Amino acid sequence: MSSSREKILAAAQANKPAQTPLPTIPDFGGDASVERFTQVLGSIGGRVVWVASPQQLVPVLHQLFPEAERIASPLFASSVAVNAQTPTQVLANVDLAVLPGEIGVAENGAVWLPEANMLHRALPTVTQHLVLVLDHRRIVATMHQAYAQLPGTGGYGAFVAGPSKTADIEQSLVIGAHGARSLVVLLY
Amino acid sequence: MSHSARAATFVADAERTTWHDETLWFVRQKRDKAVYAVPEFQQLRELASQIKDHTLSRLDEYLQQFEAAARRNGVHVHWAADAQEHNALVLDLIRRHGATRIVKSKSMLTEECHLNPHLIGHGIEVIDTDLGERIIQLREEAPSHLVLPAIHLKKEDVGDTFHRHLGTEKGNHDPQQLTEAARQHLRAKFLAAEVAISGVNFAVAETGGVVICTNEGNADLGVNLAKVHIASMGIEKLIPRLTDLGVFTRLLARSATGQPVTTYTSHYTQPAEGREMHIVIVDNGRTQQLGRPDFRASLKCIRCGACMNTCPVYRRSGGHSYDFTVPGPIGAILSPNIDLKKHSSLPFASTLCGSCTDVCPVKIDIHTQLYKWRQVLAEAGEIPTAKKWSMKFMGRFLASPKAFGLGGKMARTGLRLLPYQLTHATAFNAWAVARELPEPPQQSFRDWYRETVR
Repeated sequence: MSSSREKILAAAQANKPAQTPLPTIPDFGGDASVERFTQVLGSIGGRVVWVASPQQLVPVLHQLFPEAERIASPLFASSVAVNAQTPTQVLANVDLAVLPGEIGVAENGAVWLPEANMLHRALPTVTQHLVLVLDHRRIVATMHQAYAQLPGTGGYGAFVAGPSKTADIEQSLVIGAHGARSLVVLLY
Repeated sequence: MSHSARAATFVADAERTTWHDETLWFVRQKRDKAVYAVPEFQQLRELASQIKDHTLSRLDEYLQQFEAAARRNGVHVHWAADAQEHNALVLDLIRRHGATRIVKSKSMLTEECHLNPHLIGHGIEVIDTDLGERIIQLREEAPSHLVLPAIHLKKEDVGDTFHRHLGTEKGNHDPQQLTEAARQHLRAKFLAAEVAISGVNFAVAETGGVVICTNEGNADLGVNLAKVHIASMGIEKLIPRLTDLGVFTRLLARSATGQPVTTYTSHYTQPAEGREMHIVIVDNGRTQQLGRPDFRASLKCIRCGACMNTCPVYRRSGGHSYDFTVPGPIGAILSPNIDLKKHSSLPFASTLCGSCTDVCPVKIDIHTQLYKWRQVLAEAGEIPTAKKWSMKFMGRFLASPKAFGLGGKMARTGLRLLPYQLTHATAFNAWAVARELPEPPQQSFRDWYRETVR
């Protein structure tokens, strides 16, 4: 153990104020509708497309991304095989990743994507375009309800709300900074 | 140099000052719209404030709980008492891996520690990957805002910078095309990086994990491609439980930019197989601030920048005029803790209007603390001589009804009779530099009262 550790902990203990209670977080309820989710996702640069079932993805994907050649997905026989050991050079050339999302949040358009659904941790951001496939019955109202449904956050996991974007140049919104240039949520 | 002296160079360009003011006010308006859309927003602020208060009241225990959980997850935990130790630790980790190419995602703590010059001085390439941070890194400037680091620059400035450093076409200042050029440039850096350094938005004691929020995905891309992840966190980033994130993720982006949430809210708990994750827990003056009852609430800050966007002084003086890693109202209460002498003018860079306190998502009493710092500074003799003596004089003058009555009469007559050039001479009357003096009334309130109230 470093001496800095002891020093910091001792100072924190000596200088901390009298204990105050930790509040419980209410649920707050809220609107968990597909309409709300669709509207909010649209307002942050993403898009909802309906599919009849997860088995019928491929024709919809061809229609949405006719140019995409190198596609990675655990949901169907895809053209690029990706796993946790896939080298960076291969990842860097992926045009489209199609990954199963777990929970959708109506209030902010975010979708929970755990590591187990990503094939490789970098895939959701290194791919040029991202599609998340989500069961519409898994949409909740707020982040409170989303965290309440998570057993934990695993080794890694992310709420993804729309495509990568920036407004660092004179506050002009530009979609496609470093991560995926577009995000489509396929609801079934 | 004082805040007002540095601000003078910024306000010399009136057009740019107006533009800066309007740009930030636009962000403040977006914040309002996002906030009003959440019916329980005030309740969330209260909860966030209580969670942070509670965490600070048991900080030593939560730090140990966090450390133990992180170690169980296979994460290496390090402790740094100050900036110097932090920088030495990070350099040592980089060297142990024989690495020379580093990508960094936005971290005000590494900025506070001046990590970049330290690493560069030791032959390490360190690239800031947030677009705004990269722009100012190329220009060799400091960030001027917490979440909008290049908010002081116009697109023409960025166009020139990219033309010089990234070879974009001269005169091209289209944000879309400039962002695309940066995307290509930085992608090469991401793919080649051996180590990724990041900041931390929230550290969860219960899980031992850290949460990083970005819109660009630069932290995720950097961290998940590099072999080694080093996350630098201040001790105040802790929250007790995973469920507390429900509160903070609803507040952060809404308060910062008016978005419902950041694009990526990423939870890093364990290193990927065959990779390494390090967390450096940094004090650098924070436990000292914890020991100051009047100022410890500043440690609740979640770095959203809302206080800056609303501050009438920040909007018109620019972030660089604060000459501190964290500018604006929150910076003005954090900086005297670090160096009372150097930052003695910052608590005076405020109108005390309280707008900062009103928008703060964790309910820090910012304007009250600014007022309290002023008193500390006055007692320590850290206010300019002219101000000190004029305050002393005014105190005596206002305490004497006779002197006050006579002085009022003299001022009313003097302002009427003396020539404008004299009463408004900026050499004697600094007040008149940017203001008009009031029209002197015919009669004093005292006279009016005597005549009217019988």
